[in-house]
Amino acid sequence: MKPNLLKLSALALLVTLAAGCADDGDDGLAGPQGAPGQVGADGSDGSDGSDGSNGADGQDGADGNNGQNGNLAVYTVTITNLTYGQPFSPASVVAHEPGYYPFVAGESASVALEMLAEGGSPTALIDEASTAIQFLDAQQGGGTPPRMMGSETTLVVPMLDADNLRLSVLTMLVDTNDAFTGLNAMDISNMTVGQKVAFTTISWDSGTEANIETAATMPGPAAQSAGGGGASAGFSDVRDDRLDVVHVHRGAVTQENADDPSREGLVTSILTEGDRWLNPTARVVVVRTR
Amino acid sequence: MKMNKIAIGALLAMATSGYAQAVEVELSITNLTHANYMTPRLAIAHDATVDAFEVGTDASMALAWLAEAGVIDDAQNADSSGQNFEASLGPVDTDNGSNTWHRFGGLLPPSTTLTYSFDTMDKPYFSLLTMLIPTNDAFAGLDSIVIPTEPGTYSYYLNVYDAGTELNDELNSTRTDITEEGGMPLGGYGLPGVAGAGAGPIAPSMGTGGTGVAVTVGFAEDGTALASPNEVVDGTDGPVHIHRNTLGDTSATDGASDLDSTVHRWLNPVARVTIVVPAS
Repeated sequence: MKPNLLKLSALALLVTLAAGCADDGDDGLAGPQGAPGQVGADGSDGSDGSDGSNGADGQDGADGNNGQNGNLAVYTVTITNLTYGQPFSPASVVAHEPGYYPFVAGESASVALEMLAEGGSPTALIDEASTAIQFLDAQQGGGTPPRMMGSETTLVVPMLDADNLRLSVLTMLVDTNDAFTGLNAMDISNMTVGQKVAFTTISWDSGTEANIETAATMPGPAAQSAGGGGASAGFSDVRDDRLDVVHVHRGAVTQENADDPSREGLVTSILTEGDRWLNPTARVVVVRTR
Repeated sequence: MKMNKIAIGALLAMATSGYAQAVEVELSITNLTHANYMTPRLAIAHDATVDAFEVGTDASMALAWLAEAGVIDDAQNADSSGQNFEASLGPVDTDNGSNTWHRFGGLLPPSTTLTYSFDTMDKPYFSLLTMLIPTNDAFAGLDSIVIPTEPGTYSYYLNVYDAGTELNDELNSTRTDITEEGGMPLGGYGLPGVAGAGAGPIAPSMGTGGTGVAVTVGFAEDGTALASPNEVVDGTDGPVHIHRNTLGDTSATDGASDLDSTVHRWLNPVARVTIVVPAS
């Protein structure tokens, strides 16, 4: 209702101006103050008031109110777990401008990433991202069971950022020491409303914990069944991998064939062949909904 | 006269623009593996007539030298002369018509990056090959990507291929307790754990005492016993295909493999190659 009323008042102004135009003699009076801008359908500023003819400039109209979510772009993010048996932890889902990276291959992981990769908690990584100057929005996604499509996470960013936008989505493979998968500052610029894009992701080793695959060092259900697991078995600030750098994960060794003559398996591992995976590990679908 | 001047001017302009296209790109490679080293990189800019490797096709002798021993040219290993990529491509750093190539030297350790300048000499395609060690005949390959011409940064992820020229026995080639069938020392140009150009075995060190993975010491591929229990057969498992990964084991003194299953495995991709085309 309110927009209609304002449109009517704008019409009245036009009538006034048209009448003024008929007078081509002396300077006219100062133009009337511009009508307040319309309430923006998508939140743009209200129109300036028009100048009075030959008169002093009319004052600018008041800015229109922003429409609800009017100048924002909205994206949904859905993770599908492509593995046979590795549950995914709650995910860190972050929209940001270029320049922020949750990790760099070949460099040491931040403590926040270590907390996600070893313990499956995205909280610190989201906090870390939110302090970056490139930060736009973040959500904690739900965990995703093996072979399942996860729940939808919604991110809202200023529409001005839609033409140069990055998405970082990270989640832990919880039946591992420090494996994680996801997107590292993936370019999702210039998506149109309604457009859907899909990415497949590989698994990374955060390089922060040796992959000994014991119940006391992994947080997930496989470790829980073996008498360990949980938060206490997750994050540890000790860094005891061969090299303290993020690299592509080489997969789980597991206990299979540990006792046969091949000695292939890892005697201390509580993992089984069903906990193995190959890349790609996850599918991430992004839809721009607004 | 005037016409001639214009013609000369046009020729000069053409020559200048042609020269400007001969862009030196910045080439970076990052080793993304946990513990596999990469031998000196063969970088080739080439036309459609050059194919350093082709999946589903038997490897060339040159590819066998690269994938089994990390050898690209005579300077690395004189025994490879006439069989290596130098022989099939032509002289290094030269416009060989169909290609120009360079060996970017040094072992590339895990999680490290090396950056080079590479003159593509206007060739349309780019390929890069590097052996993974310690393996029998695994190599990471970038296969004939179109060289970008717009200024910018372009990334490519490399998978591991099996050259198919050697069985993946995963036996330490420095062992003397076993020999090739017929009594030859292990190795030939298939040296798991030993880089080309005479480099020694690399850390983390390999085990010994393995009985063999794809083939068992003392037995033929079909399982029949060999005349000597201390011999291992050599064979092929081609054509070129995606490598099935090493198996390894957890014993440094026995088990099937002389590789470590907790160390020497990988999943694809194993390397990232970045090409930066500069703004001209």
